[in-house]
Amino acid sequence: MNLGTIFLSALLVENVVLMRFLALCSYVGMTSDVGQSTGMGFAVAFVTVLATAATWPIYHFILVPLGISFLQILVFILVIAALVQLVEFYLKKNVPGLYLAMGIYLPLITTNCAILAVTFDNISKDYSFIQALVYAVGASGGYLLAMILLAGIRQRIKNSPIPKFLQGTPILFVATGLITVAFMGFAGMIK
Amino acid sequence: MKKDILRLGITLALFAAGACVALAFVYTITGPKIAGLESEQLAASLKDLFPDADSFPAIEPGIASSDTSVVLDKSYKALRGTDILGVAIKAVGKSYGGAASMLIGVRTDKHIAGARILTLSDTPGLGANAVNPAYFVNKSSKTTFIGQFTDKAVSDPFVVKQDVIAISASTITSKSLTNIMKKASDAGAAWLDANVAGGVQ
Amino acid sequence: MKRLLNILLKGIITENPLLMLMIGLCSALAVTTTVANGIGMGLAMTFVNVFAELVISLFRKLIPNDARIPIFIIVIAAFTTIVDLSMKAYFPALSKSMGVFIPLIVVNCIIMGRVEAFAYKQPPLDAIFDGIGMGLGYTWVLIGIAAVRELLGAGTIAGIQIMPSSFQPILFFTFPPGGFIVFALFISLNIWLNKLKTASAAAKEAA
Repeated sequence: MNLGTIFLSALLVENVVLMRFLALCSYVGMTSDVGQSTGMGFAVAFVTVLATAATWPIYHFILVPLGISFLQILVFILVIAALVQLVEFYLKKNVPGLYLAMGIYLPLITTNCAILAVTFDNISKDYSFIQALVYAVGASGGYLLAMILLAGIRQRIKNSPIPKFLQGTPILFVATGLITVAFMGFAGMIK
Repeated sequence: MKKDILRLGITLALFAAGACVALAFVYTITGPKIAGLESEQLAASLKDLFPDADSFPAIEPGIASSDTSVVLDKSYKALRGTDILGVAIKAVGKSYGGAASMLIGVRTDKHIAGARILTLSDTPGLGANAVNPAYFVNKSSKTTFIGQFTDKAVSDPFVVKQDVIAISASTITSKSLTNIMKKASDAGAAWLDANVAGGVQ
Repeated sequence: MKRLLNILLKGIITENPLLMLMIGLCSALAVTTTVANGIGMGLAMTFVNVFAELVISLFRKLIPNDARIPIFIIVIAAFTTIVDLSMKAYFPALSKSMGVFIPLIVVNCIIMGRVEAFAYKQPPLDAIFDGIGMGLGYTWVLIGIAAVRELLGAGTIAGIQIMPSSFQPILFFTFPPGGFIVFALFISLNIWLNKLKTASAAAKEAA
């Protein structure tokens, strides 16, 4: 598959949040503010690409040749945890404003299933290193997109009349469902 | 301070080592089973496609594919005694979510004996329905996507949305799998033409 | 004994991870296209949860506070891998249909959350019951959502045809948007049930 298809497919057709149900905890928890969602989206994108750059070579040049590919889950999640720690240290020292704003959600990036899923996909889809990086960018772009979309909608919801039985979290999921219907239309893009 | 970090590091290392040992142990038990499953699945699929056959010797050096996009991994003769009933070809090609492998059987009458999907990693709920035995492309006759190829003539056009019914919202998966079917069955039919005189009903 | 039972029930109802605490959502929506998948995922997650909580509770005195997160991860990842390998070997069809979501159990916020909030501070027996309770709470919601989605989306439950053959399956429910909407309704139902519960409790107190 050419790089363009991989990118578009990851961004829209198989959007990590809307079509594959990943990263929902942060999706629900961090979209009350568009600025917050954008920040989170970029942080996740950064970690995803770095994680891909680290885990792909580790799998292909260490785990497989040594016959210990069964340690994949353990090694990948530890790599991601370590990367998030590094990002935390860096932000604490150099961009303290963002560090404080993100608060508890920064370490929570470790448990963001989208990141781990992308690193796994790179292996199961048998991507080359470049393809994996493109996929990582596309997938995290899709995450950013979904986050911003929902944050925007939540702003509107604050001022809209919502039926009693849907108030609170339910309407968020209904809204998400509707966005997803729109995204399903993208399936026809990839011929 | 240094002593603390050392303690932390050692504790971490101990836990990690413990985990690795436990996993290696579980892997020695499950690893061979997982590897064996693949060959079991192949043997079961072969028998499924040609129930009358009693042996499936491999064809060496293998049937060549006319198209680089579809690799004909392994080919087998379906034999009943010494009579050839057809060929079964394990073909691998690219599908939406990565490589897909199928086993395609071609009878000596140049019709498809059937097809089985061995591995497919397409979208669950969409392309993955190709392996779902409860997903029908033709609801009235309860035909699955793969089932529609049974008894199909190899010489048919094999065009999705014309003579092949696609899986809803999964055109790419449908086209990829149909492509694999076409290339493999063409190659199988060609081999039968070249190597079998007459054929057995 | 009553204490242990309370711990168990907490996970199933009052502190249900999916409906009340809203964690561990990813796998919940992705695998609930069929009841079989829902049960499989629920059991897999419960297994990892119980054993992770057990091990961490057993070793809680030996786990230094500063290094606890990586150690939690190691333990959870180890049990997740055990489940993954076992399913690949003994339940290959189920394993394939759940795909990447079995390995993703390692980042299931429920397990991480319980290990941090409960198992690290409580004795092993309590930890086991909490693990089972949370696991059961997770599983029953999964089965519930899956039942609705499979019934309306394919006319079957666990592969058994329930709807009459004239029923046209509403494929929408097996697709992602359907999943989101069914989940929205479940949350809505749960909020309403909780309102009734607090209302009746208040009424009893006032009476």
